[in-house]
Amino acid sequence: MKVQNDRSTENRSGPDLNPDHFLTEPDTPRSAMISPDQVAPVDRGVMASLGVYMTGEDRAGTYILRDFHPLCLVAGSDDVELLPIADALMRYDWLREKYYWRAVPIDLDEYTARCALASEPQGYFIRVKKGAKVSFPVQACLYISRRDIIQTSHNVVILEENSELHLITGCATGPGVGTGTHLGVSECYIGKHAKLTHTMIHSWGPEVEVRPRSGTIVEDRGTFVSNYVSLRPAKSIQTDPCTWLNGEGSSAKYSTIILGARGSTIDNGGTVYLNGEGSSAELAHRAVCTGGRICQKGLLIGNAPCRAHVDCAGMVLDAGEDGFIEAVPGLRALHSDARMSHEASIGKIAPEQVAYLQSRGMEEREAISLIIRGFLDADIEGLSPELDARIAEISKLAGHGEE
Amino acid sequence: MTNILEVKDLCVEVDGQKLLHGIDLTIPDGEIHALLGPNGCGKTTLMMVVMGYPEYRVIQGQILFNGEDITELDITERARLGIGISQQRPPTIAGVKLQQVLDFIIAQAPKRVDEIDGLVRAVHMERFLDRDVNADLSGGEIKRSELLQLLVTQPRFAMLDEPDSGVDLEALSLVGNMANALLAKEPGQSEHRKSGLIITHTGQILDCVHADKAHIMLNGQIGCSGPSRILLDKIRKYGYEECIRCILRRREE
Repeated sequence: MKVQNDRSTENRSGPDLNPDHFLTEPDTPRSAMISPDQVAPVDRGVMASLGVYMTGEDRAGTYILRDFHPLCLVAGSDDVELLPIADALMRYDWLREKYYWRAVPIDLDEYTARCALASEPQGYFIRVKKGAKVSFPVQACLYISRRDIIQTSHNVVILEENSELHLITGCATGPGVGTGTHLGVSECYIGKHAKLTHTMIHSWGPEVEVRPRSGTIVEDRGTFVSNYVSLRPAKSIQTDPCTWLNGEGSSAKYSTIILGARGSTIDNGGTVYLNGEGSSAELAHRAVCTGGRICQKGLLIGNAPCRAHVDCAGMVLDAGEDGFIEAVPGLRALHSDARMSHEASIGKIAPEQVAYLQSRGMEEREAISLIIRGFLDADIEGLSPELDARIAEISKLAGHGEE
Repeated sequence: MTNILEVKDLCVEVDGQKLLHGIDLTIPDGEIHALLGPNGCGKTTLMMVVMGYPEYRVIQGQILFNGEDITELDITERARLGIGISQQRPPTIAGVKLQQVLDFIIAQAPKRVDEIDGLVRAVHMERFLDRDVNADLSGGEIKRSELLQLLVTQPRFAMLDEPDSGVDLEALSLVGNMANALLAKEPGQSEHRKSGLIITHTGQILDCVHADKAHIMLNGQIGCSGPSRILLDKIRKYGYEECIRCILRRREE
């Protein structure tokens, strides 16, 4: 292992964390997992708000990590293998050899190092068998139920050739849990002609700090669709999910939706390496700032004949003196046949639009929420019911201010 | 007969510029009035201030709706009292679909779903429901979209801003039918028409919709009022220039 201690490397960006007084290792042993219907009602409510339902209906599998241990696991389909990552590593030698820490470098920064040094890795392993088109989503929840802990998770998702999966990952703190840290590593491998749609929804406490580190590798004609929604602003989130479109004709589409509020710092990136001939990528960042700092970044790197577009759009609503959005779309063309473009825009809601909807009988807040919703989901294709519900909620929250 | 709208000595400014200077206008319940006048005379300003658009600031005077002083009410409150507007150049709202606006209105009156579906089909607006509100519409399509929303909302008092501008003859007939449907008898009141105010520069819409009375505006004031047919005939015969000369002559007298 390259990492000797968790201070050996520096974090790449984002505010420094000082979580030394937080609990980093489990203080209780791993206990037997429970069934979804045994999950406490209060926790079920939070999970449902993320699109993670304990009824299990219309889901191909369920995994819940609570604090340091897996709480619940239901593998509901022969086509989908779902295991705690620690169990998968014991079962499959090839997992460590070919996939584990292969899409995210172990020494990327301080936070990957902390994940690597956990006494037992937590997180999920999902493998979709060759040719399987999984009709219902697999759902996972990374849940912090106690204050002042550092939760680490390391997830590996493998889609074999010609398979399809929709994965919903909800990450949240429980009611009354204001402080904590979540460090997550996610590695996704999308085989030839396979398609992964990953909808990730965050809803953290106001003093929680979050450092997800993600890497996705896509083979020939594979497709990666990433939808990220930050529903309630944490104290700080810093992430730069990277995708390597290595396969010919492979593609990626990122849609991110962020709500920022006073006191939060959100640095949300996205880097795509277009290495395969005919590969394509589209990044659409949407942010609504009601305070705090939001930085939207997107970097597309064209190493082959490819098409790529990045669009960062922000809306500022009564953000106070300190609130701002910074949009930084970036392009790097390393091949003469790379066709790349970018755009960025930041503005406020036009008062005449609000007045127009009010003239049809809407309250001002209803009108603002509807306009925000239109702004947020304008470019998301094929909204899933889960994402649609979260966007409706974020629009309502933003439209209603801090109440 | 009660008055649906009374505007008393109304002075209005926008961005510090005074645009209306002491307007007096009374529309009895069940009557439709036309507002005529050259471009820039303040017709749209009057309509927007009656609707309650916040950038149109009342600096003097009063607006009464059905006897209630609404001068300080916001747009939503006025809409819910029964005032509706069809704008000449409504804003485009990216990402908000016409269907969503109709859905909001339907949610207030769920029993009308079938009726509203029928209305949408009758005015050939089905293919516009999934488009952003007012995006990429022709002049005639904007009028139809605006009038459809009013037909669905069913205001007691409808204000139509230039429903005949930018509309070809065929579309004008449809727009006229929609306006007539909008201003037709109130449900359950066989003798009672709804009330309205129609702005028109050319007067074309008045060939389709009967107006009880017309008012001519000039420089932010109402210069002349009378039977709509007579006033319109004079404007068509002599043009607004003669109309303006007449108003100025009378003011000097």
